[in-house]
Amino acid sequence: MAMYIRVKRNKITYFIQCEPTETILNIKEKLFALVDHPVNDYRLTLVTTNEILNDSKTLADQKVENDAVVALSLRKDDNDFEDVNIARPDDFTSFS
Amino acid sequence: MSMEDTVKLISAEGFEFVIDRKAAMVSNTIRNMLTSPGGFSEAQHGEVRFPEISTPILEKICQYFYWSLQFASGKESEFHIDPEMTLELMMAANYLHT
Repeated sequence: MAMYIRVKRNKITYFIQCEPTETILNIKEKLFALVDHPVNDYRLTLVTTNEILNDSKTLADQKVENDAVVALSLRKDDNDFEDVNIARPDDFTSFS
Repeated sequence: MSMEDTVKLISAEGFEFVIDRKAAMVSNTIRNMLTSPGGFSEAQHGEVRFPEISTPILEKICQYFYWSLQFASGKESEFHIDPEMTLELMMAANYLHT
């Protein structure tokens, strides 16, 4: 395993093993096994730069490195994508 | 990668981490939960709850699992740990036999 990335949405984090030469589409296909939505409905954003990742480019091309955090947003019913949302545990500790 | 090859670890605050089964097996405690015949319900659902482990610590542990796999395959790098989380991390590592 050359690298892994952390794909986050709300309270879920998926650790995905990958190679720097894989394209974003390859990553989305891997996610498909875990997320109950079609690949077309995914948008991945590199959290450090807020850049939306391009399906046809590789991880290396877009400077996605080992241990990087990538946000997953899903397409909503009105065809737009939802906003990037990654929950943080601090938001919940006040309730416990 | 498919559903059967992954396990879900759930933190005290209910945050979920989906990791490769192989990575989770770095922990002897989780390995026992997932492989012991019949016993644990965790083995059937591929889900393990850790009500005692906070989200940042559990994430760090998952990162450690992957770092450990990379290290075993010959890629040497440092594993960075923030001083503030050292104690909590050691207690969790002790529990997980990691």
